[in-house]
Amino acid sequence: MLENYLPIMVFIFLGIAFGVGPMLIGYLLGPNKPDKEKNSQFECGFPPFDDSRMYFNVRYYLVAILFILFDLEVAFVFPWAVVQSDLGWFGFISMSIFLFLLVVGFIFEWKNGALEWE
Amino acid sequence: MMNTFQFDTASLLLALPEIFLLSAIVVVLLLDLFLTKRFKQVTYYLTQASLLITGVLSYNLIGHPETVIFSNSFVLDDMASVFKVFMMGFSMVAMVYSRHYLTQHSLFRGEYFILVLLSILGMMVMVSGYSLLTLYLGLEILSLSLYTLIAIARKRSGAIEAALKYFVLGAIASGLLLYGMSMIYGISGSLNISDISAFASDANLGARETLIINFGLVFLVIGIAFKLGAVPFHMWVPDVYQGSPTSVTMFISTVPKIAAVAMLVRILVDGLGAMHAYWADLFMVLAVLSIALGSVVALMQTNIKRMLAYSTISHVGFIMLGFVTGVVSGYGAAVFYVFVYILISLAAFGIIILLNKEGFEADQISDFKGLSKHSPWFALMMLAVMLSMAGVPPFIGFYSKFFILQQVISAGFITLAVVAVVFAVISAYYYLQIIKSMYFEDADKDITISAPMDIQLVLSINAILILVVGIFPDFWMKLALSLF
Amino acid sequence: MVSLSDYLILSAIIFCIGLVGIFVNRTNIITLLMCVELILVAVNTNFIAFSHFLGNEAGQIFVFFILTVAAAEVAIGLAILTLLFRNKGTISVDVTNSLKG
Repeated sequence: MLENYLPIMVFIFLGIAFGVGPMLIGYLLGPNKPDKEKNSQFECGFPPFDDSRMYFNVRYYLVAILFILFDLEVAFVFPWAVVQSDLGWFGFISMSIFLFLLVVGFIFEWKNGALEWE
Repeated sequence: MMNTFQFDTASLLLALPEIFLLSAIVVVLLLDLFLTKRFKQVTYYLTQASLLITGVLSYNLIGHPETVIFSNSFVLDDMASVFKVFMMGFSMVAMVYSRHYLTQHSLFRGEYFILVLLSILGMMVMVSGYSLLTLYLGLEILSLSLYTLIAIARKRSGAIEAALKYFVLGAIASGLLLYGMSMIYGISGSLNISDISAFASDANLGARETLIINFGLVFLVIGIAFKLGAVPFHMWVPDVYQGSPTSVTMFISTVPKIAAVAMLVRILVDGLGAMHAYWADLFMVLAVLSIALGSVVALMQTNIKRMLAYSTISHVGFIMLGFVTGVVSGYGAAVFYVFVYILISLAAFGIIILLNKEGFEADQISDFKGLSKHSPWFALMMLAVMLSMAGVPPFIGFYSKFFILQQVISAGFITLAVVAVVFAVISAYYYLQIIKSMYFEDADKDITISAPMDIQLVLSINAILILVVGIFPDFWMKLALSLF
Repeated sequence: MVSLSDYLILSAIIFCIGLVGIFVNRTNIITLLMCVELILVAVNTNFIAFSHFLGNEAGQIFVFFILTVAAAEVAIGLAILTLLFRNKGTISVDVTNSLKG
């Protein structure tokens, strides 16, 4: 009974090793010379070392809103892709209509400037 | 594997109104993006044209024998087609009134019309839904568009607050409805309405199955009551009505009621008709509470939108009474009541919108003071509307109440009918209050009506219809009865 | 072996947590959104459990649609939240009290 869980244990250990290993190696082998440029804000504009329970700028919500919508379309595309060969043209045209409607939404948000940061 | 998935042209033709409306939405949306400010009116005219064409397409499908298409999830019958035609007609009237309001309050934006079209698409899916999945999806298309529609007045904190309240309570309602649906699915093993109906009307149904269906049924009834705004699930109605821009209030309080009643008919009458004895009890309590609370609390309101909200709650009570009877003629009377209520309500909100001036919201009852001196014609119309709402005989509102009460009495609920009549009489008081301030009080501010001709014309026709249908109610009642 | 009723009890508990959370929460509207999400998750659990024990896929398809609708709902909720923040400068539930009668 218990040995059925062995693959899961192996999986967990491998997962931890892959996650922690590179960070550990980088910490041990890499040179550590911080300067002003390296500690400055980058990518998302957050300070690199800060309390994680801080207030977010309201503009992030806008990005989150758009992300959620276009993220979930994949939930429909994946099952469709798996059985597409059985569905034939019917499935292809149906999915094309669905994606076309999504593109219309995308054009709308782009033209309205929702993708601009400022 | 054999290719069994094919486009069935015949069934696509049956869904032509929906397909056309969806294409129209795409076209209007894209066109509106690239129109300059000068040509923004084009969006409005295109919206009206799409509504008209969709209505004509639905009209052509009236008389088609009942057909279930798209893997048993979409039904086309006379009820669906007639409801769609009425929805298009009422929406066109609502859009005429909306345009005036939107220009006056500088809210005129293409998105308004696109959201209205989307919500109408959702309602059409609801009206034709024949599986729990399509009904749910239609309901969500409708609700999500309405939440956004309220928030279109983004500078008014009252409107945003109303949108938030509507959103949170609407989401709870959907959650409860879904929980009920999951129970019904779990016990009957199907999402399809006719399968559920076959399961529920099985004579050999065990006690355990009946119990689980009833458990799901309670959640379904609560969800539907939330959407209709019946007491004790009415908390959102007054706040949303008061906070929303008046044109949105008008839209929310009218056309979606048809879709809500259609969903009620599909789930509770078509699907769980065999369980009528169980849900009728719940409906009786909800109906009496709605009529009582709606009539009494409306007496204390000074804001006319809030007053109309409570009046809607009591009208919803009457609609639910029609479903308590459990006979086809009772359902017909309820449908007739819905159409009458929408016709009256549109006229009432039309007159409120008419009194709006640039940047001035005429939403207090005192704004109607002395209307008869400045504009006798519109005061007369408001008189007809208010008497109709109160249920005074020559007007249409009398007949709709009369038909419902007739059915309730012949079904043997005498006490119920007496309670309804008593509260209807109480509610007459606040309608008369408005008439009093129009005719017997002097205006404390300047009333000028600066509305364009089209809204004045449509409003007049709307008010005259209230009288005309009131003189010949039999034809419409027969139409409503033929739908079941 | 996990039985159907275990799943149903779990989903009923999640459902109740979500429902109670909406009514007692007085601090933050984001929490409200999370509670709505909890309710939908409970329903999804129900549907998948039924679908598995009935051997009928319709319930799982329903779950796909609920997930999508939930995403759209959260998107609109966040949009309304942003507007509320712009108008009032806070997202506390207590500020939404100007509509009374």
